[in-house]
Amino acid sequence: MTRQRPFFVQFLVPAVLVAVIFAAAMFNVLKYSFLEFVPGSLNVGGFTLENFTRINRPIYYWVLLDTFILSFATAFFALLLSYPISFALVRAERNWVRSVLVVLAITPLFTGEIVRTYSWMLVLGSDGVVNTALKSLGVIDRSVPIMYTRVGVVIALVQFAMPVMIILLATAISQINRDCEKAAANLGATPNTVFWWVTIPLTLPGILSGFVVVFAWTMSAFSTPQLIGGGKVLMISNVVYLQGFSSFNLPFAAVLSLVALFAALGSLALMKLLTARLEQNMATS
Amino acid sequence: MMHQKMTAITALEHSVEIKAVSKTFGAFHAVNNVSLPIRAGEFVTLLGPSGCGKTTLLNMVAGFIDPSAGAIHIGGVDVTNVPVHLRDTGMVFQSYALFPHMNVFDNVAFGLRQRKFSKSEVTRKVMQTIEMMKLSGMEGRRISQLSGGQQQRVALARAIAIQPKVLLLDEPLSALDKSLRAQMQVELIEMHRNTGLTTIFVTHDQGEALSLSDRIVVMNRGQIQQVAEPIDLYSNPANGFVASFIGEINALPAAIYQASDREISLAIGDIRMTAPRRPEWKFGSGEMVKAFVRPEHVRMATSADAGSNVVTGEVLTHIYQGSHTITRLRIDGLGPIEMRLPGGDVVGRVPVGMPAQIAFDLSQVILLADNPN
Ligand SMILES: Nc1ncnc2c1ncn2[C@@H]1O[C@H](COP(=O)(O)OP(=O)(O)OP(=O)(O)O)[C@@H](O)[C@H]1O
Ligand SMILES: [Mg+2]
Repeated sequence: MTRQRPFFVQFLVPAVLVAVIFAAAMFNVLKYSFLEFVPGSLNVGGFTLENFTRINRPIYYWVLLDTFILSFATAFFALLLSYPISFALVRAERNWVRSVLVVLAITPLFTGEIVRTYSWMLVLGSDGVVNTALKSLGVIDRSVPIMYTRVGVVIALVQFAMPVMIILLATAISQINRDCEKAAANLGATPNTVFWWVTIPLTLPGILSGFVVVFAWTMSAFSTPQLIGGGKVLMISNVVYLQGFSSFNLPFAAVLSLVALFAALGSLALMKLLTARLEQNMATS
Repeated sequence: MMHQKMTAITALEHSVEIKAVSKTFGAFHAVNNVSLPIRAGEFVTLLGPSGCGKTTLLNMVAGFIDPSAGAIHIGGVDVTNVPVHLRDTGMVFQSYALFPHMNVFDNVAFGLRQRKFSKSEVTRKVMQTIEMMKLSGMEGRRISQLSGGQQQRVALARAIAIQPKVLLLDEPLSALDKSLRAQMQVELIEMHRNTGLTTIFVTHDQGEALSLSDRIVVMNRGQIQQVAEPIDLYSNPANGFVASFIGEINALPAAIYQASDREISLAIGDIRMTAPRRPEWKFGSGEMVKAFVRPEHVRMATSADAGSNVVTGEVLTHIYQGSHTITRLRIDGLGPIEMRLPGGDVVGRVPVGMPAQIAFDLSQVILLADNPN
């Protein structure tokens, strides 16, 4: 192998470096999780298992569950909103329509997370765009709270996740053998039936991988729930932050991080299993 | 055979009529004023070189492409503005386009379910079609678990299960290897005999066209060149394009120097020969024409051949092909000529580089007007 690719080893150096540093950091997190917390000090004490027993409290289960639910909801709504956009992106007959959609879909990737989150605060606030508009339309007469609610957090997270979702879905949609859709129509299927019985199933691998990626990504969301949730909506990263940088309980923050990591890995593995079976079934020879 | 002639009675009403259909992409005429009536139960082949508009024409019959002009009738009804899913055609795609997320049974059942047949009716029709296409026992298989030939049969089964008014086959055999293709040709013929479905078959393989079709439609550059039965097409091509496209043929420039009711005398280069006149030849004395001679109508001259028909050429190559040998000769003033000799004839072969005397089978010479089309 290396003889055929003389640069192979050199090319691996950066990746190996990153991996080593990351592994070292993870090792430290692991180490901290077994060390005693000394209140009022950044230093830690000796070996203990107490950090792990401390997590066995309803509040942390609720945060974990909340994180799951918010991530799931984000992935779900991002999927729902992205699919039509991806579809139009791939299938639009006119080039300019495609170009406009690409720009609209992708540019959010290039604005920073904080900037985007602040924009959402302006939009969702009690005097924000949404409330003002709804009020002037007479739909509501008092501002409805969106800021500092789960709904608000999910809205911002969905928008944050959509570019990635759109790219993944568009890839899947562009890889469909369109003759399959033509064949279905030819056999008498209405456009509606073709979409639900052929197009959607054929893009299912893309749908699942988009869902999994956004889900895992949102599991580690921090600044969006921090700013839009304003302490009222807590995801696991926010609790890690509270423990680590408000209470300076680094050992417990480490334990929470590990829990979050394994929760994410576990759900990823589960979904991977699902997709693997699906892809195996869908593979054409 | 319970499925025999399962549509024979209804098929009589069905037929396809392509009426002066054109399709332009920008300024490009992909299909140019094509008219073609197809009888019920007929197996018609669209044959022509790549890009001549075969797929475009087929897609217009299926409804995937709207004609720029003209009309399409199926079963006596104008369907030009009827959407694909209401046209009741059965198409087999070159890529098969089987549904990878369904098993064989569900693939074949798809069209029947759209037609709201009862569950037992669907099962009955699917199993009947599966049996006819020799797929019994594979109902539960995934598409990915089938060989290319089996996928091909599923694609056919899916299209014929709905007993469409017309079966549309777009180069269905081109993805198969040679021996499988020969086998599928036989199965196509059987399928057609069993179902009696009106069939439009697209290919650019002339051998396939000649062996399968009731009639062949030769197309070039979006236009029909000739519509004829296979034998007629081979022995009586309407123009130079058809003559050269179907089978091998020597095209030789010729001048007519004498024309009577019964015979035509030609000069092909220095060679003079007299051929019996065919009724469709309207040429007069002094006209320039093209003389077409198939390789199997050229032979080694014997003492019985008249002197005027005997030509001397130099042997360039022998290409041995088992059942026969193709011999290329150069004749001064004419260029190369191919002749086809029976395979075992090695003893009588003239060595390469040596002169050989050949003769044309004059009753088989085809004369066509000397214009490009
Ligand atoms: N959507 C399109 N836009 C522009 N030109 C097209 C389009 N579809 C087909 N053509 C052109 O029309 C011509 C006929 O195409 P068509 O696919 O019907 O050829 P074909 O006879 O089926 O060829 P092949 O044997 O290669 O399949 C080709 O020159 C093709 O480039
Ligand atoms: Mg084609």
